[in-house]
Amino acid sequence: MRNFEDDPTLEDLLTSDQLKRLNRMLSALCREPVEISGNRDSGAVALEFNLETVGWLSGGSSGQERLAAADLVSFLMMFIAKYRLAANLHHDTTEASYAELQKQNEALKASEARYRALSSQLQDKVDEQVAVIKQAQMDLYESARLRSVGQLAAGVAHEINNPIGFMSSNLKVAGEYVSDLRQMVPDTDQNRELLDDFADLIGESSDGASRIASIVSDLKTFSSIDQADYTLCDVNELLSSAVHLLQTEYGQDLDILEKPGELPKISGHPSRLSQTFYNLLDNAAQALRAGEQGTQGGRILAKTSVDSDGVRVVIQDNGCGIAEDIREQVFDAFFTSRPVGAGTGLGLTVARDTVRAHRGTIQIDSREGKGTRVTLSLPVR
Amino acid sequence: MADHSPEENRLALKVVFYGPALSGKTTNLMQLHSLLNPQRKGELMVLETRDDRTLFFDMLPIGLKGDSGLDLRLKLYTVPGQVQHDSTRKAVLSRADAVVFVADSQAGQQDNNATAFGNLEENLDKVGLDIDSLPMAVQFNKRDLPGVVGDAELQQRWAGTPWAPLQMASALHGKGVIDTFRVLLDRLYTEVDREFALHTDHGIDRDTFIRQLSAASEENRA
Ligand SMILES: Nc1nc2c(ncn2[C@@H]2O[C@H](COP(=O)(O)OP(=O)(O)OP(=O)(O)O)[C@@H](O)[C@H]2O)c(=O)[nH]1
Ligand SMILES: [Mg+2]
Repeated sequence: MRNFEDDPTLEDLLTSDQLKRLNRMLSALCREPVEISGNRDSGAVALEFNLETVGWLSGGSSGQERLAAADLVSFLMMFIAKYRLAANLHHDTTEASYAELQKQNEALKASEARYRALSSQLQDKVDEQVAVIKQAQMDLYESARLRSVGQLAAGVAHEINNPIGFMSSNLKVAGEYVSDLRQMVPDTDQNRELLDDFADLIGESSDGASRIASIVSDLKTFSSIDQADYTLCDVNELLSSAVHLLQTEYGQDLDILEKPGELPKISGHPSRLSQTFYNLLDNAAQALRAGEQGTQGGRILAKTSVDSDGVRVVIQDNGCGIAEDIREQVFDAFFTSRPVGAGTGLGLTVARDTVRAHRGTIQIDSREGKGTRVTLSLPVR
Repeated sequence: MADHSPEENRLALKVVFYGPALSGKTTNLMQLHSLLNPQRKGELMVLETRDDRTLFFDMLPIGLKGDSGLDLRLKLYTVPGQVQHDSTRKAVLSRADAVVFVADSQAGQQDNNATAFGNLEENLDKVGLDIDSLPMAVQFNKRDLPGVVGDAELQQRWAGTPWAPLQMASALHGKGVIDTFRVLLDRLYTEVDREFALHTDHGIDRDTFIRQLSAASEENRA
């Protein structure tokens, strides 16, 4: 691109029409016609402008006439050139301003894009945080619910404990009374039958009472209402009471094999651990139910052992297993592969969070149709 | 950026008179036009002005021929000093080979001087030039007026800069104008000789360069 200050050529200064007209006017003033051109003819006089020869003037009747005409042209050129210079400068600065505007525009666009990207990132971050908060809220809700259920259970257990205690001892005494009665009443067939039946009734009631007493004791262990947050826990005891409670819920045909190992006590949160064991056992029981043969032939293994990582708890079933495509999601809160209404799906999330809170690990191995094994590792600390 | 065309054996250099409004840039150029008698001198082109104030620029071409036939031109430009003509100032400044900064000596004008100098720095940067490597002379004009900042004080203030010593002038009275110009030519020669081997290739030594381009009318005639 030419700059405004580049020396103008003859064509820059005058159009060919203007040049022709200038030639005519000059010729009219001179005795002989003169001509301005870019070529140097012999005898032509240089047309100087700003130390620059812009053209040559030839013709005329004498050198003097040529010089006079050239002077006049140079004089005119000066004004034409001034206009040209100013116009070119104006053009240059306008163009430069425009270019600058465009550059600013580009910069503005770029920064706008940056902000847009930032704001979408912000949206992602907000969504993420909202999910975290939702999750925390759910966990909180769930644990509050569990706590109140646990409190209720513990309260009920406490209330039942006394009457069941005196019921048991009363039934025992009543049994002795039946023996006494045998000595006292005449030994007839009818009396013997009556007293045998009486003794059976008292025996069954006594069995029932002791079953109630053991459920109450499991409930108390399970909810650990009278325990501080973190305390030394006997994992076997907690696991066992969870097993018993589950069996109470599912009936005795649920086959749970307990294989407790020798364990050190660990520092932990007893009711949360109980809840975790219960959830995992419950999942296992549901998996059996959903399996081919139902709970028939289904078996749950609840095993504990100790190794260098700490206490290891394995809960294994030979139920339906977890499909590959959903295995990744099993920890998502609310994710549940069970039919709607069968559970909230929070079980595994609660289990994972509890294990995390105990700085342990949880691992799930599953094969669809074969079963699932959940392994918890809890450091002894 | 010197405009050198080896085919035509021509070298055109651009000198820009910069400074705050009304500091006397146009006056400097007009004085050079009338006082100088260099080998070659063109017309002084004063483009649009309003109330004596430059709207576009002024331009004076001068030149000399070297032994090698080198056609050396110097185009002297002034910029409009008024703040609002910044884009014009930038356009005129672009591709400059040297700058004369004309400051106003009056005490009340020192802020304007500083602003204009900052503006020069900024615009040089924008047109891709570096103030530290560009040949430059700094002139404090209007020494004839009362209430100007003292000579010694000014010299001391600028002592640590590459542009010391300052040139003192009263352009309106033609004083210090040629001296300023010569200082500039001296600094310009160093750069141009380095790039175009004025001395070895074209037989133009420093003294010739300065003398031929800044010959005063009387001296020349004498
Ligand atoms: N007293 C005095 N006045 C001066 C001197 N030099 C210039 N002036 C006056 O200052 C006024 C401005 O001078 P210019 O040369 O037009 O200033 P400029 O720097 O070209 O101004 P802009 O074109 O607006 O940037 C004129 O009235 C000059 O006569 C000087 O040395 N002494
Ligand atoms: Mg001016």
